[in-house]
Amino acid sequence: MRLLLVEDEIDIQSFLRRSLEETGYEVEVAGDGKTAERLAIDTPFDILIVDLGLPDQDGISLILRLRQLGLSAPVLILSARRSVDDRVRGLEQGGDDYLTKPFALAELLARLRNLLKRNSPATKEPTRLHVQDLELDLLRREAMRGGRVLQLTQQEFVLLEYLCRNAGRVVTRSMILDEVWGMRIQPDTNVVDVHIYRLRGKVDGAGQQPLIRTMRGVGYVLRDR
Amino acid sequence: MSSETGKRRIHSAAWRISLRATFAFACGTLILFVYLQHFIASNIQRRSDAWLSGEIETLGHVAEETPRNAFYERVVGEVAELATREVPHRFKPTGNANDSVFFAQIGSDGALKLWVGVGSGTADLSAIKAIRIVSDRPTDLRLPGFAIPFRVASLRLKDGNHVYLGLSERDDLRLLSNLRLRFFILWLLLVMLGFGMVFFSTRRMLGHVRKITEAASRIGHSDLTARVPIIRRNDEVSHLALTLNNMLDRIERSMHQLHTITDALAHDLRSPLTAIRGKLESSLSTADGDQAEPIVSAIEELDRLTEFLNKSLDVAEAKADALRLTRSEVDLDELLRAMIDLYEPSMSEKGLKVRMRSAGAVKVFADAALLHRMAANLLDNELKHLPSTCTIDIELLSGEDAASLILEDDGPGFDSEVLPHLFERRVKGRKSNGHGLGLAFVDAVARAHGGTVAASNRESGGARIAITLPLAPKVPAGALAATAPGSNSFH
Repeated sequence: MRLLLVEDEIDIQSFLRRSLEETGYEVEVAGDGKTAERLAIDTPFDILIVDLGLPDQDGISLILRLRQLGLSAPVLILSARRSVDDRVRGLEQGGDDYLTKPFALAELLARLRNLLKRNSPATKEPTRLHVQDLELDLLRREAMRGGRVLQLTQQEFVLLEYLCRNAGRVVTRSMILDEVWGMRIQPDTNVVDVHIYRLRGKVDGAGQQPLIRTMRGVGYVLRDR
Repeated sequence: MSSETGKRRIHSAAWRISLRATFAFACGTLILFVYLQHFIASNIQRRSDAWLSGEIETLGHVAEETPRNAFYERVVGEVAELATREVPHRFKPTGNANDSVFFAQIGSDGALKLWVGVGSGTADLSAIKAIRIVSDRPTDLRLPGFAIPFRVASLRLKDGNHVYLGLSERDDLRLLSNLRLRFFILWLLLVMLGFGMVFFSTRRMLGHVRKITEAASRIGHSDLTARVPIIRRNDEVSHLALTLNNMLDRIERSMHQLHTITDALAHDLRSPLTAIRGKLESSLSTADGDQAEPIVSAIEELDRLTEFLNKSLDVAEAKADALRLTRSEVDLDELLRAMIDLYEPSMSEKGLKVRMRSAGAVKVFADAALLHRMAANLLDNELKHLPSTCTIDIELLSGEDAASLILEDDGPGFDSEVLPHLFERRVKGRKSNGHGLGLAFVDAVARAHGGTVAASNRESGGARIAITLPLAPKVPAGALAATAPGSNSFH
């Protein structure tokens, strides 16, 4: 996957580049709009990360011009601004996504994945999810672990489904809040942890290997091996 | 709804002003007409009196000069009869040939010597004799059988006889009442015309004011670029519009300035925060065991700092009524239920109970993200400060034009010294370990949406927070039907 990172802050540039390359992206970096334009025209990219505050121009103008020039790859917009611009909203409706700074790396990676999936030809949605000995029937809204049916509330099922879809990858608390509850909030209290704790109590039976692991300071991961 | 009450208010203002102006105008014209009528009436009387004085002199002369023979009565009677024919400004006599004039000659012994007029005159004798004053000036006299008084002139002859000439005031009065009726109709027309003119011009003027008011009230938090319509005239109203627009220019500039400052501040702080967080995350992935712990707490501190920064800037903007909103239709009932669903496990973990009462969907036109954060703040507050076994009651009510959200608990309540300053920044209870922004933020969000927040301690103990938010404008039935299929396809 070829990725163009348009970001002028050297510190952010370097850690993002390293992390993205570790994840398996082939990363090109541009420090300003002009370079980004040249790179984007020369070679095709699968996805772009564009910071809104570029030294030579506004990130939105850059994206709009690249779109005019025929760019079809999805864009993840990084914004350090407070309010979400109407034009950003427009782009969001057009299939792009935005993330406010500072962000958790896991969330950035998840959003990139979502963007790529949204823009690739639709694969048939599975009706069952399998992670180790955990099995989710999405049609009957039923979860089983090692042949044992789990008594989950509707909300717990949605949470477990989200973890399963991202099995092996870290999900942050704000990602869970966004995806499961549809809220972009940052609670002062450990409300998400309690939900995970309860879910864990139901999923991990006696003698079974713990499936949901806490990554301290980052979030949670559902082990896939 | 507010424009309708505004309309009514303006309407009644126009009505009030017109009534006052018309009252003053009516009084003025009434005085004028009364004076005119009085002037004309006295003129008519003067003319009648002049005629009477002239005639009585002539008749007195005739009565004196005519020899006292058998024809005396006839001659004087004829002359008197002739004189009565030339009564000034008379109407066509009705019924009786001439009942508007009489002539009487009374001897020095008080006997009626000659009577020209209706009837024999004997009945009227005593009334006529009652006129003691014999002067040049005619006087009023009421005769029995006549509703309308007579104007009577009298003369004393040399032989001690008295002659009297009476002229009924009927014709004068009829003329005057005719005149009064015409004056009254004219006055009524004038007053109505005046009222209409004042009312319509006032209403037109106030209509412009109303337009300005409506436009100004539309220019809220979200739309500071709009301006009040300028009427192309050079009067007070267009000056008002111009002044308002100038003021809006200044407000827009200072808002813009504030936004620039907060945006720059946010940007300048968030960029390094992003870099630091990234570095910490990178080092966390390679750290193991003991090394990880300080990194983890640093990341958590950083996230708290970020949220603090966001809230501070939001509160700062909201205090200046400059919070930027991205509004959409939000169902408060749905939002609160999702929020309670999220918080319920943490609450019951701590031994707290949450109950919600609501009569169904309550739609507001609001910034969903801000409302989510506001609700999270309220519940975080309860979760942090309530001792276990307490109960939180959340009630959602839909009023006429505002939704109210009431949050009550049976905990210790607010500290009495903190209560009056609860919504100020950095105010927190003694035992609180927060940064004192929570309720200031709640207040900020409610205010930005045109709502209110009130906090108090319940009489039975415990805290009570009441929030109102204006309801979403009612969508006309046609528009609702048009959007319904679209919204269905999403679910």
